[in-house]
Amino acid sequence: MNDADDDLNVPIRSEPGEVGLVEPRDFVTTEPFVFDNGQSIPGFTLRYETYGRLNAAHDNAILICHALSGDHHCAGIHSLNDRKSGWWNNLIGPNKAVDTNKFFVLCCNVIGGCQGSSGPSSIDPRTGKAYGITFPAVTIRDMVRTQKLWLDSLGVQSLYAVIGGSMGGMQVLQWAIEYPSFVKRALAMATTAREGAQAIAFNEVGRQAILQDPEWNHGDYPKSGGPRVGLAIARMMAHITYLSDASMDRKFGRKAVRPKSPSSAPDPQVSGLKPPVSDSMEGIDPVAPAATFDVRFEVESYLRYQGQSFINRFDANSYLYITRALDQFDLAATHGTLEQAFAEVQAATLVVGFTSDWLFPPDQNRAIALALLRAGKRVSYAELATDLGHDSFLLESPQLYELVRGFLN
Amino acid sequence: MAKHSTIKRSVDMQIIADWVEPGARVLDLGCGRGVLLDYLVQTKDVHAVGVDLDFDKISACVRRGLTAYQGDMMALMRALPENHFDRVICSRTLEELPDPGAIIEQALRIGKTITVGFVNHGYWKNRAAAFFLGRKPRNAVYTTAWFESRPTNPASIADFEDFCALRKLKIARRAHLGGDWKTTSSLLPNLLAGYALYDLTR
Repeated sequence: MNDADDDLNVPIRSEPGEVGLVEPRDFVTTEPFVFDNGQSIPGFTLRYETYGRLNAAHDNAILICHALSGDHHCAGIHSLNDRKSGWWNNLIGPNKAVDTNKFFVLCCNVIGGCQGSSGPSSIDPRTGKAYGITFPAVTIRDMVRTQKLWLDSLGVQSLYAVIGGSMGGMQVLQWAIEYPSFVKRALAMATTAREGAQAIAFNEVGRQAILQDPEWNHGDYPKSGGPRVGLAIARMMAHITYLSDASMDRKFGRKAVRPKSPSSAPDPQVSGLKPPVSDSMEGIDPVAPAATFDVRFEVESYLRYQGQSFINRFDANSYLYITRALDQFDLAATHGTLEQAFAEVQAATLVVGFTSDWLFPPDQNRAIALALLRAGKRVSYAELATDLGHDSFLLESPQLYELVRGFLN
Repeated sequence: MAKHSTIKRSVDMQIIADWVEPGARVLDLGCGRGVLLDYLVQTKDVHAVGVDLDFDKISACVRRGLTAYQGDMMALMRALPENHFDRVICSRTLEELPDPGAIIEQALRIGKTITVGFVNHGYWKNRAAAFFLGRKPRNAVYTTAWFESRPTNPASIADFEDFCALRKLKIARRAHLGGDWKTTSSLLPNLLAGYALYDLTR
């Protein structure tokens, strides 16, 4: 029915605050964990952060699930010197859309990751050496099942909501399927129930960049070394898929990189994609012999910077494992049909697509909502018009905040 | 004006609520901010789904605790199996739809019953607006001037009943509201009714 006015009174809200200083903690178990592929490890660690407090009824917990290159640090700062807050700080905090005054918010680094949780770069207690590629193959379901063990250890008895974008959205769907009575609300953004050929293709190019780097050495490399060139290229390419034509053109256009003083010699490491001493791409001599293919445009400089900063915080083997987990994700194939996959879901679900997301386009998000509807489930679908591409779910958008807040309250 | 229209809206909402079976599965085409669905959930405990094109309207539905789908209603209906809903409601929306016949047909595939509510353009004031004043009719639902309106496809009660006969759709129930939309009116509805509600079945 058309209705012009909204007769709900929007309550007056307090100003949003900040989570502030936070400290990561570790969940450590020595119980063996059996992965989907049948292989097992003798225990594992998940690094996590929490904000807010678990209430007496233990029913106000909200789990945040991170994307491919994300981690457990989704809000607040680790030290007063931090230049950046956690990756979803705009959404999470006192009086924000995910209100830490009301909710106990948790986020952990996924199994297979490299930010403190067990993964290929962790030490295998059986050998005393890093797992490398002897670490079992990881699936989205393995991520979710390990998270459940962690939440059980904290006394969380149900999840008020699970929220995530991209790979985080896949975990959200898997949570609702795997633990139907545990999950009350599921909010999945910019995601898919089935990784499509285009997304697999991009992941494969990234993996090949790593695998073809001689430093990869079949996954056996020292912690400070490894296939840094390959990983940086993988990140550069992947980063393009998170943006959009419009947003890149607005940010960079054809802006050229300003050449620095002609006296400074070109850094040979930069063109070889070895980690430069500084993050800056300045100091390139435009008339040097190799200059034709040196950084000319700001967008190139930006991508190189993204690649370089990524290799300082991410492990190449983890990148291989997690992209594989993404590619394996196909709820329809796993359960027969998508409707059958959702047959046991009890959570009220909200799916959000973004018009400019060409990695997990609106259609793939809509397909999740339609399948849930066909399965007779409570599901809403909203589609936000943005031009920022896949990363739109991290956008500072009052409209998105209102939607999330409305869904949670 | 706002208060006046709130009174008016409640009568057609009440009639729809009277017709809806308790606990029914209901789809509202063009659900707006979910006022009708919210009312049906509260009075009839329905399992409600809305569909609308606008993000902020879907957001308002979600805030009400309703489930709503942002997108094209025809695409949504085509994606759903037969008899998925007990009732599809298309109220205060019909005349803005392209190809309303196809919408009604789809609605009767996925729903057992469709409730249609529309402004009667045969109502004498609407006729007079065109005949004497030479003006586009304006009323409590369609308050805007032509240049700020969405395209409309006005129909009268006579037009609508002809359509039902042509498509062999059963009229299970009808209600005609007077020009004030507060009282029901049975005398010469095509001339005297301001708003019409129908329950159609296959």
